[in-house]
Amino acid sequence: MAHQAHAYHMVDPSPWPLTGAIAALLMTSGLAVWFHFHSTTLMILGTILLLLTMFQWWRDVVREGTFQGHHTPPVQKGLRYGMILFITSEVFFFLGFFWAFYHSSLAPTPELGGCWPPTGITTLDPFEVPLLNTAVLLASGVTVTWAHHSIMEGERKQAIQSLALTIALGFYFTFLQAMEYYEAPFTIADGVYGSTFFVATGFHGLHVIIGSMFLAVCLLRQIHFHFTSEHHFGFEAAAWYWHFVDVVWLFLYISIYWWGS
Amino acid sequence: METIRYFKILISHVHVDCFFAQGLRPGVPAESPAMVFATPTKVVSEAGSTVEYLGTNRVPDLQRLFQTSDGVPIHLKRGVPDKLLYRTTMALTIGGALYCLVALYFAAQPNKK
Repeated sequence: MAHQAHAYHMVDPSPWPLTGAIAALLMTSGLAVWFHFHSTTLMILGTILLLLTMFQWWRDVVREGTFQGHHTPPVQKGLRYGMILFITSEVFFFLGFFWAFYHSSLAPTPELGGCWPPTGITTLDPFEVPLLNTAVLLASGVTVTWAHHSIMEGERKQAIQSLALTIALGFYFTFLQAMEYYEAPFTIADGVYGSTFFVATGFHGLHVIIGSMFLAVCLLRQIHFHFTSEHHFGFEAAAWYWHFVDVVWLFLYISIYWWGS
Repeated sequence: METIRYFKILISHVHVDCFFAQGLRPGVPAESPAMVFATPTKVVSEAGSTVEYLGTNRVPDLQRLFQTSDGVPIHLKRGVPDKLLYRTTMALTIGGALYCLVALYFAAQPNKK
């Protein structure tokens, strides 16, 4: 059997970058076809392909790390850099929407009535459901830290319970936010207020759902004994992402819900 | 049988050879084993790692499976389920790409009004 003289991971040839790229092509051109020809087939096909690609690619990463032992310390360092850089790119993504919000709200145009919130907009009370949402996400930050310490201390049952609680809090946030969206007295079409509100909080909600899915995968892996007390980077990456989602919400709450009301 | 067992329990501390012929050993142990009718309820913290919580650890078996040096790439190493999923994905990829090119060709045609 051939042995490598370095600690890095030379991956096996994989079809998933190609299928992922085609999925992106199908989703984007499918979007255009939906807009102009009212057919969703291409877009749905692209989405299915994307989901298949994500499942199989990440399944292979778990196999390479947990079952084949390829995630040596230098490899893990690279994965850490990767996750940090990805989260940084997401920070810039949200920065754009915050820029848009402050651009419109700091100097409200005459068309809006020269004030913020604009004339005719009934804002949501920041001390009702939005405050509960803040408490829910902050609590989930505590439970995910509890889960991390449980994993590090080898407390299997506590790790499973605290991780499950974190996910439950994430779902509770999503449920509350969905209810708020349904009951809101304004829509995305209500001028720049509606646009900035729903695009910023909407993308945040999508990230909560993504974060919850990531944590759910970690829960399954913890149940199946994948994590050790020394090596559990998948969980750490999920926890970093979850804290990022929490911090974005805090900025949203302070800026849009509270200052902007 | 019970009388014999009772007798054995009474004299269990004495060397058995005195009372039985050469080579004949009591088949029944001198003391009957404690009878257990149900697994006693244990507090998890007392039982330690021996108590199962949500399944057994299959990681060592999977490590053995994925570390066989058969030259099969990681995305096919589990055999039939991997192959099926790969072929379905690739079929959708190739088929989807062709469908996309056809759709874009027709979309690019000028609209005759």
